[in-house]
Amino acid sequence: MPTVSQAEQFKQSFREEAREILVELEAALLELNERRGDLELVGRVFRALHTIKGSGAMFGFEDLATFTHNLENAFDEVRNGRLAVGSELVDLTLVALDQIRAMLEEGAEGAQDADPEACSRILAGVRRLTGKPEAEAKKTHPPLKSVCATGPVNATEEMRKWSIHFAPGPEFMLNGSNPLLLVRELRQLGDLAVTATMAAVPPLAELDPERCYAVWDMVLETSAARDAIRDVFIFVEDNCELAIEPDIGSANSTQLTQPQFATEGAAKALEEPRAACGGRRNYDKADTASSLRVPAAKLDEFVNLVGELVTVQARLSELALRCDDPDVAAVSEEIERLTSSLRENSMNIRMLPIRATFEKFRRLVHDLARDLGKDVELTLEGADTELDKTVIDQLGDPLMHLIRNSMDHGIEPGATRASRGKRPTATIHLSARHSGASVLIGVEDDGGGIDAEAVRNRAIEKGLVAENALLTEAETFALLFQAGFSTAKTVTDVSGRGVGMDVVRQRVESLRGSIDVASKPEVGTSVTLRLPLTLAIIDGLLVSVGEAFFVLPLANTLECIELTREDAERANGKHLANVRGDLIPYICLRQHFDIRTRPPAIEQIMVVETGQGRYGFVVDRVLGNCQTVIKNLGRFYRHVQVVSGATILGNGTVALILDPERLALDAVRLNSQRSRGSPALGARSGRSRDSTVVSGIQGFAGAGGKRQRMSNNDSTS
Amino acid sequence: MGIALEQSENSSVLRLDGVIDISCAAELKTLLLKALSSGGEIRIALDGVTELDVTAVQLLWAAEREAARAAVAFALSGPMQEPVLSGLRLTGFEEYASTMDLFKPREVIRCQP
Repeated sequence: MPTVSQAEQFKQSFREEAREILVELEAALLELNERRGDLELVGRVFRALHTIKGSGAMFGFEDLATFTHNLENAFDEVRNGRLAVGSELVDLTLVALDQIRAMLEEGAEGAQDADPEACSRILAGVRRLTGKPEAEAKKTHPPLKSVCATGPVNATEEMRKWSIHFAPGPEFMLNGSNPLLLVRELRQLGDLAVTATMAAVPPLAELDPERCYAVWDMVLETSAARDAIRDVFIFVEDNCELAIEPDIGSANSTQLTQPQFATEGAAKALEEPRAACGGRRNYDKADTASSLRVPAAKLDEFVNLVGELVTVQARLSELALRCDDPDVAAVSEEIERLTSSLRENSMNIRMLPIRATFEKFRRLVHDLARDLGKDVELTLEGADTELDKTVIDQLGDPLMHLIRNSMDHGIEPGATRASRGKRPTATIHLSARHSGASVLIGVEDDGGGIDAEAVRNRAIEKGLVAENALLTEAETFALLFQAGFSTAKTVTDVSGRGVGMDVVRQRVESLRGSIDVASKPEVGTSVTLRLPLTLAIIDGLLVSVGEAFFVLPLANTLECIELTREDAERANGKHLANVRGDLIPYICLRQHFDIRTRPPAIEQIMVVETGQGRYGFVVDRVLGNCQTVIKNLGRFYRHVQVVSGATILGNGTVALILDPERLALDAVRLNSQRSRGSPALGARSGRSRDSTVVSGIQGFAGAGGKRQRMSNNDSTS
Repeated sequence: MGIALEQSENSSVLRLDGVIDISCAAELKTLLLKALSSGGEIRIALDGVTELDVTAVQLLWAAEREAARAAVAFALSGPMQEPVLSGLRLTGFEEYASTMDLFKPREVIRCQP
C-alpha cells in the first residue's frame, strides 16, 4: 500500500533522474558546439529537454517545466531547420541548465535557489534567437512563474485535427505518471475535445486502486506536427497504448461524443493483444529491471555492516583456532568464505565508472576557455575505469582545481602557442587507469610547463626552503601544493590565490592518495593522482615486528624472502638484498619505527611493488592473509603519511596498515637528506616525523601485549 | 489531506479532504467497501477536496455503480472547489461527473434502486 510520502518519493526519483539527464544534456550541448550541424545531437538535446519538461510537470515542478519548455521550443526550431546552432544558443542553454538545476534542488539544504532575473534574461535571449518579437513573447511568457510560456502555437501554419487514443497501461500510475497532466499538456498544443471512458473500470471489490482503467479519446486541433503530439507522451510511450491519427471527416471536433477509437469499447481494447494496434503496446512485458536505484546512504550503511562482519569474523577465526574443535573450525571456515564473498560483492556494488565526473569538466573547460579567450579541447581516456563511490565523490574538487590551474597558468595564450609552433587548440587530457590496488588519475596539458626556477625562487622568498637547499625536481614541484603558494603574478577569477593546489593536496591525502607532477618547459605538465580503489576494506598481509603488528596491502606485495644475520652482515651495512640476481633496497621496519626489541636470527623481507620500484620491508614474522577493515586513526594522526589507517585484529589488538608507497618515499627522502646533509621540507634528523609518531602509536596501541580496542564507529567507509 | 468515515446506524459519511490521489487510493477503496457493506445510505463529502486524481474518480464511480446495484442510497455532496471541477472538466470527466452529480452543491440524494 502506498504511503503518504509516496509523492515525495516520486519527486526524489525524478530529481535523481533529472540530474543524470542534465549531465547528458550538458555533454550533448558541448558536443553540439563542436559539431553544429549534427542533427543527431540536436535530437539528443531536444529529447533531454523534453523529458525534463514532461517529467517535471508530472511531479509538480511547474516552474522548471515551463522554463524548460521555452528552451525545448528553441531546439524544436533547430530541429526543423528554422534556427541554426550558434555559440550564443549553446551558452544560453548551458546557463539555463544551471537554473534548471537550481529549480530542481529548490528547498534542498545548501542549494541555491533559481534566479528569476537570470531566467528572464535567458528566456529573453532565447526569444531573440528564435525571432519572436519581444512584445508577442511577453504576452505568453510572464515572470519565472511569469516569464515562462505555455506553448506557442504558430498560427500561420495550417491547422489540422488529430484523433488521439490514449490508454494508460497497468503500471502507468505506479511509475509516478499522471494521465491528467498529459491531457492538460496536450491542451497547450491547441483546441482539445476530450472524453474519458470508464467502461473498463471493474466492480469496486475487484478494482486495483492504483491502476488507471480510464481511457481517453481526444480530438486536437493544432498546427503542431504528429511528432510534437507524440512528444507529449515521449516518456510514457512504453507504458501506454497510444494512437495518433489524422481526424478524417470530423467536421466539428468540439461536439465529439463518441470518438471513433472508443467504438469497440475500451475494456475490450485493453484485453486485446497489444500488438494489433499501431500504438505502443509493450507495457505488458514482464518488468525485468536490470538495475536498481538505491540511496547512497543505504549502501554506505550496508558496506559499514559488512565491515563490522569482517572484523567479527576475524575474531571467530581466532577463537576457532584456539578451540581446536573440528566442527567449530568447519563453521568458522565456511563463514570466512561467505564473508569474503560478501565483502567483495559489497565493494563491487560501490564501484562506479569515473565517466560522469570526467564529463562534468567539459562544461568547465568550455566556460573557462571562453572566459580566458583560449582555444582548449578536453580529451578523455579510461572514463570507464571504476572506483569506489566514496573516492569518486571526493575527486571532483581536486580535479576542478587542477584543470583551472592548467587552463589559467599552464596553457599559453594563442600568440605564444603560435610562436612556439604549437597547435592553436590546446589540449587538456583527463585519464584514468588501474594500477594494482590503486587508480591513477591524470590531468595533462600541452601548455608552457612549470618554471621550476620560479617555483624555487618563490619558495625561498616565502621562507619555505633555505636559499642553499638542493631540491630535486619532485621536491620542487611538491612546493606547488603548499598552502598559499602561488607563482602567479596576478590573481584572476580563475586561480592565482594559492588555495587550489593546497585543496588538491589535502583532499588527495585525505583519500590516502599521492600526487606526482611531471613537467617540461614549453611542452606541458602532467599531474597524476594515485588513489586507492576503495577506502573501506583491503586484503592485507599481517606481519609482526617485535610485539607490534602491521598490515601490508596484499595487492602491492610480490614475495617474501628470508634475511639471515649473515646476509645482512655480508652487505656491509648497505640495505640491499640479492633477489635472484637483482639488488633490491630494503627498509628495516624495526629501525624505521624505532622498535627496541631484539630481532630474530632469521628475519623476513616482504618485497613490495611501489612507484619507486621494488622495495623490501624487513619484518620478524609473516603471520598470513587478513581481510582488513580500515579504521581512521583520527584527526590527531592525520599528518602521519606512512600509515594509511589501522585495523582491529581477531584478538582485539590494533595493527597499523602501512602505505608501502609512502614508506619507500619516506626512506628515499631520509637517505637523500642524510647523504646531502641539508635539512629541507621539515625533516629534522635521521628519522622522519612520521616514523617517530608511528612508533608512538605502536607503543600505545599494540606493543607490550596491550589490547586496546578501537571504536568500531571509526570506519572510514 | 485525509479520508474519514463516520458511521451511524443508518448512514455512512465519507469525508474527503485535500489531495485525494494514488497515495490514498487503497485507503479510499477500503473505506468505500466498508461503507457499502454497512447497508445504510452513503454520503461522500467533497467540499474539502483540493485535488482529485484519476484513481479517486474511478473509485467513486465504481462505488456509485455498486451502490446502485445494491439499491443503497449514494450521494456526493459539495460544493466542490472550482479548480477541482475545472480540472475534471478539462480532462474529460465531465460526462461522468455530471452523472454522479459532482458539480452541483446539494444535499444527500437517494439513488433509485
